[in-house]
Amino acid sequence: MHGFYRWSSKWWPGVIPLALLWALAAWNSTQPLEADLAARSNQALKSTILDKTRISVAGRDVSFAAEAFSEEGRRSAVASLEATPGVRLVNDETRLVAEAKPFVWVAERDNVRVTLWGTAPLPASKARIMEAARTALSGTEVSDRMGMARGAPVRFDAAALLLVDQIAKLKEGKIVLSDTGVSLSGMARDLGGREAIAAALKNLPEGFVVVSNEVRAPPYIFQANKDPVAVTLTLSGYVPDNNSHAALAAAAGRKFGNEKIVDNLKASIGAPSGFTAAVTSALGALSRLSTGTLVVSDREIKLSGDALYEAAAGQIRAGLARELPLGWTTKPEISVKPAAAPVDATVCQQLFAQNLTKGRIRFESSSASINADSTGLLDRLVETAMRCPSTNVEIVGHTDRTGAEEFNQELSEKRAQAVADYLIKAGLPADRFTAVGYGSALPIAPNDTDEGKAQNRRIEFVVRQ
Amino acid sequence: MVDLAMFLWGWLLGAFLLGLGMGWIAVVRRGKTVSRALAQKLAALTVALIGVSLAKLLPGRFGYWLDLGLALFAFYLVGCAIGSKLRDWVVSRAAKVA
Repeated sequence: MHGFYRWSSKWWPGVIPLALLWALAAWNSTQPLEADLAARSNQALKSTILDKTRISVAGRDVSFAAEAFSEEGRRSAVASLEATPGVRLVNDETRLVAEAKPFVWVAERDNVRVTLWGTAPLPASKARIMEAARTALSGTEVSDRMGMARGAPVRFDAAALLLVDQIAKLKEGKIVLSDTGVSLSGMARDLGGREAIAAALKNLPEGFVVVSNEVRAPPYIFQANKDPVAVTLTLSGYVPDNNSHAALAAAAGRKFGNEKIVDNLKASIGAPSGFTAAVTSALGALSRLSTGTLVVSDREIKLSGDALYEAAAGQIRAGLARELPLGWTTKPEISVKPAAAPVDATVCQQLFAQNLTKGRIRFESSSASINADSTGLLDRLVETAMRCPSTNVEIVGHTDRTGAEEFNQELSEKRAQAVADYLIKAGLPADRFTAVGYGSALPIAPNDTDEGKAQNRRIEFVVRQ
Repeated sequence: MVDLAMFLWGWLLGAFLLGLGMGWIAVVRRGKTVSRALAQKLAALTVALIGVSLAKLLPGRFGYWLDLGLALFAFYLVGCAIGSKLRDWVVSRAAKVA
């Protein structure tokens, strides 16, 4: 023991190189040690649920800042860091995530994207909601602006996931979940979407209630476009059911004898009342236009295009407003087609014949009143007559052989006169037209079939110099 | 602590070898010695530094450097003790033989 004491009194010179070694060790090992401890600390926190985690290491001391979702989670995170091998001290700067009162979560959709904002209770719920949104809204941008807070109602995730599915059914709008109350506003994407959303909301988890549902149905749209170049009438949009579809297609066929009808109509619920009657009237007005577009949106009718002559434009504007069912409004934007170039008598005769071959002037049964379906054809005849102002025109009426000859004679004269009156009312001089009737005396087809009789009931235009 | 020793083993080994060499030389060296009073003061200082280290009074890097210095010093002392003991054993055996 004495020897040890004597030796140790001579150990001191080694302390000088030891101090150098100490300085070298401190210089070289500090940063690697800190990096190693930072990696170990992150590893230790891997399984804990935290937000805004920040770890910095100085020497063997770890400064740990994070937001925890519960007091237990916070304590266990600090404890697991303290238990990390090599760590000397943990400077605990953790705190709890703020509590949201009320707990509000919002899904908002505009034309471009869906934005999710407000608060979610945990990173996992946030990820699940985003995942569900991306699946439900594939092809639409989903923007995540959700923060996190404590205080979510129970079964929040289930409710939010159900509401994410509903935002997919909106064209634009907003769904707000405030504590357990759900408010919806906006416009449904499809007809029937509003009803589908209302039905889905019945499956909200227990405890959640719908505070307000102001989702509007999209407008009920019907469109018809008359294209004089392609000689087509294109129908698109919705009709209430197959019966109305058939009725409207038939009406279009009668009113547009000239045009090929392209029918892209789809049946859907949600039509306003009086839809079929209003659209039939509007189609009649469209048939009188040279080129035009008809857009029916809910109870508003927008008709735009060119009338064949000035008087027709006025008649169409006034007539449409008069014929519509109660509650319907109309927005006619009718201009007048520039007058076509004059033609000589021969061409005029050809044009009359062409028009009357493609379509026939129809009258009410056994009567001289002109059927409304024929106004489009009559307007084209007026336009033709305007192109040869120096000619006189004989309007000739014929009937089939059904009924008494005297009656038919008189009917043919009256029908010819009705047509002449139409032309005069359109602004043509009365002295250019002579109405003549031949009864059933000059048939062009046998009178023993319905088809033949229909051909014999006709009006002819004969141009005289 | 074991992890830390594994991390710093090279430096600790260096301190130990330095101590071993110094202990080996000290047995036969004639030179200045540390007086008893100074030795006691140094021992008291060391104990105080160990106290500071255990109480974790120095923060961050300074705390680490203190721990590191104390660990190196401890390995140095152990090395010195073993070195002196070995030299003493070798010297006394040689004397017996002579």
